[in-house]
Amino acid sequence: MQVWDGISDARLTFSASEIGLERPQEGMARLTENLNLQRGLLRHLEKLPEVQLIDKTKVQSIIRDTEERGGWPLVHLDNGRVLRARLLVGADGFNSPVRSYAQISSFGWSYDTQGIVATMVHPPRGAFQGPNTTCYQRFLPTGPIAFLPLSPTVSSLVWSTRPHIASALTASDPDVFASMINAAFRLPELSLRYLYNRIIEAQANGTPLTHAEIQQEILWREQSHSIDHNSAYASAVIQPNADVGVPAADSESLPPLVTSLQPGTVATFPLRFNHTDSYIGEGQGSRTVLVGDAAHTVHPLAGQGLNLGIADVECLARCIDDALQKGGDVGSYTALLPYAQERYLENHTLMSAIDKLHKLYTSTLEPVVWARSVGVEVLNEFDSIKAALMMTAGARDHKLNNAAAGWNMAAKGVEGLAAGVNAAKLLSGGIGGMIGMGL
Amino acid sequence: MGLTNVVRAMHRQVHSAVSRGTVNAAEIAHFSRLSSQWWDEQGEFAFLHKMNPVRVQFIREKLLEVAREEHEGEDALSSKGLHGLDVLDVGCGGGLLSESLARLGANTLGIDASESNVKIAKLHASADPKLERLSYVNTAAESLLESPKRYDVVCSMEVLEHVDNPASFLSTCAELVKPGGHLFLSTISRSPLAYFLTIFLAEDLLRKVSRGTHTYSKFIKPTELVAFFQKHHSSASADPQYLEHATLSRPWISPQASSVSPPRKEAEVRGLIYHPLQSKWLLAPRDAWGATDCNYIFWTRKPSE
Ligand SMILES: Cc1cc2nc3c(=O)[nH]c(=O)nc-3n(C[C@H](O)[C@H](O)[C@H](O)COP(=O)(O)OP(=O)(O)OC[C@H]3O[C@@H](n4cnc5c(N)ncnc54)[C@H](O)[C@@H]3O)c2cc1C
Repeated sequence: MQVWDGISDARLTFSASEIGLERPQEGMARLTENLNLQRGLLRHLEKLPEVQLIDKTKVQSIIRDTEERGGWPLVHLDNGRVLRARLLVGADGFNSPVRSYAQISSFGWSYDTQGIVATMVHPPRGAFQGPNTTCYQRFLPTGPIAFLPLSPTVSSLVWSTRPHIASALTASDPDVFASMINAAFRLPELSLRYLYNRIIEAQANGTPLTHAEIQQEILWREQSHSIDHNSAYASAVIQPNADVGVPAADSESLPPLVTSLQPGTVATFPLRFNHTDSYIGEGQGSRTVLVGDAAHTVHPLAGQGLNLGIADVECLARCIDDALQKGGDVGSYTALLPYAQERYLENHTLMSAIDKLHKLYTSTLEPVVWARSVGVEVLNEFDSIKAALMMTAGARDHKLNNAAAGWNMAAKGVEGLAAGVNAAKLLSGGIGGMIGMGL
Repeated sequence: MGLTNVVRAMHRQVHSAVSRGTVNAAEIAHFSRLSSQWWDEQGEFAFLHKMNPVRVQFIREKLLEVAREEHEGEDALSSKGLHGLDVLDVGCGGGLLSESLARLGANTLGIDASESNVKIAKLHASADPKLERLSYVNTAAESLLESPKRYDVVCSMEVLEHVDNPASFLSTCAELVKPGGHLFLSTISRSPLAYFLTIFLAEDLLRKVSRGTHTYSKFIKPTELVAFFQKHHSSASADPQYLEHATLSRPWISPQASSVSPPRKEAEVRGLIYHPLQSKWLLAPRDAWGATDCNYIFWTRKPSE
């Protein structure tokens, strides 16, 4: 995994062999397409006769049963069926109908950022470069852009950026968008801003840029930054046989050049931070519990959204099993409380740390950028912090207590450096001194 | 103290028992209000709700342990825990323990001297389709002796410290157990700690509980329970089948054993400790020092011969 700062270029490099995993050859994390995960789970459900799946059906409304009948939730489906639930698990995403039924309030904010996802196609890595198994993430002031490998020639994109840029990019010709992805990993921030404006202006004038035009624009930007066309940082001219022979010196630092996007895979989402005040419904909303995005929504920069939800479900299943062993009523507050006690704080710590990182990394304030670069370089020296960060990114063991701590430490480290930056500059007069102090 | 709150509420409901009559709508409304008190897990009965899983855990594990020892060598299927057993819950209150036992597969009868408690328990259970093995009767334990029906397991939780004649109450419960069956009791010990927590702190100092809810002299020490069953012989049963052995029956717990640590296969005492940080009750390990000084749970077994 390679993570770098879009302004200072300070870089963190992670690898599985560094953190003493039992089987480093398995890598530090796996990337799985949600579709495959869902397909696997559905296949598993088929083997469980006690599970009944009702698909292509919507929950129309949820109503509370009468007081005498215990006030259990009655789930009305759009096919007319009514299900009376001992326990209603809200795994129904950000706009959770179960959460509204349970009247659980939440707090949060929108990031004024859109997340763009897409599946990218690229040539395989050359013989000298090793396989396509490295994640790349560049923190730009508009938000992070991430490259997540899926197979030798296919990778996944998660690009968080300002809404007007996101709509301009996704409205462009797919080849123009692909060129911009390559540029976003390579060109200096100043040139990116110029390119976004060119695209937006051209669209406003009713003459959107063609692929040839954007490639020309990128070439000019490369020339003005003296980027040699053989460098890995060059993307304006895709060499027909770049994957043979000796690769450019920096090629390991950057993802492969994207040649096209898989049709129909581009989508955008508004990004937000949201955490409910409680995971368990009480009073009029009793016999409900929230998991996953229904309970919390995070910025995707750390790739943690689904992992948090899976950890919730694992914990909830354990609590339900425990309650069953003791003859408990699985819909009762008593049975569900341990779930909330275990997950709420852990999720909150991790979510706050991710939020803090987002805010720090979208800042262009000079002291913050400087501290960020020092911070990242200090982090790169600290194997233990890196290990913690990597463990969380992959959520290899979600019970690991330092999972949230790792992210928090990273955010705090950068934040603390930013705060003390002026004094530190005076004292040390340079990065070397700063690292000395940090240690 | 949550426990004393529970007791106060129990007393109140005993005194608020309504007159008999046909059930009408107003009465149903009245009982569902009371029921929501008993079953409000964060309300007055919160401590009881939190304590319940630990008691069930003790009961279940004890039965499994005994079954494993008796069926050693046979396959594990022979130990089904509570499944299929006839269980009596004396002083069932709103039915917290009874429901759990029924869910674990026991044919459960909950009895309570308070008519109102029994109605609350019935109403609550009626909302749950999984509780068909559960029934309730408004009666005192003594009146069950008139019927020949005996139980594999008799439980009585947090009742002993409130009865006027504990010896007679214990004999009645013991009598209701089938030969080879189990008796589970939980109560509060008579110790300086129990006095401090339940009377001095909760009643006198904090005035959280009306004075006189607990009577210190009624608290019973675990050693006293053990001593009782070291002298207790199952009396000649109403069932003539057992009559001829009546004179031969041995006491439930060997008289020569120490009342502090009775033989493991005859009796066990475990402390129930509240952990304030985790806000839950824990079952103290066997022989944990001082653990049985306040709330504790006791198990003993009726000799099978
Ligand atoms: C741009 C972006 C990138 C992301 N990248 C990553 C990543 O790399 N790694 C990662 O771990 N996470 C990532 N996430 C987060 C991840 O997608 C979510 O955290 C995850 O999908 C949440 O799962 P969920 O089951 O809680 O909710 P959802 O996936 O939202 O599922 C909710 C389900 O409930 C159903 N539903 C809702 N209402 C009703 C109704 N009335 N009747 C019937 N059904 C209903 C919906 O149809 C849906 O199937 C990303 C998110 C975004 C926006």
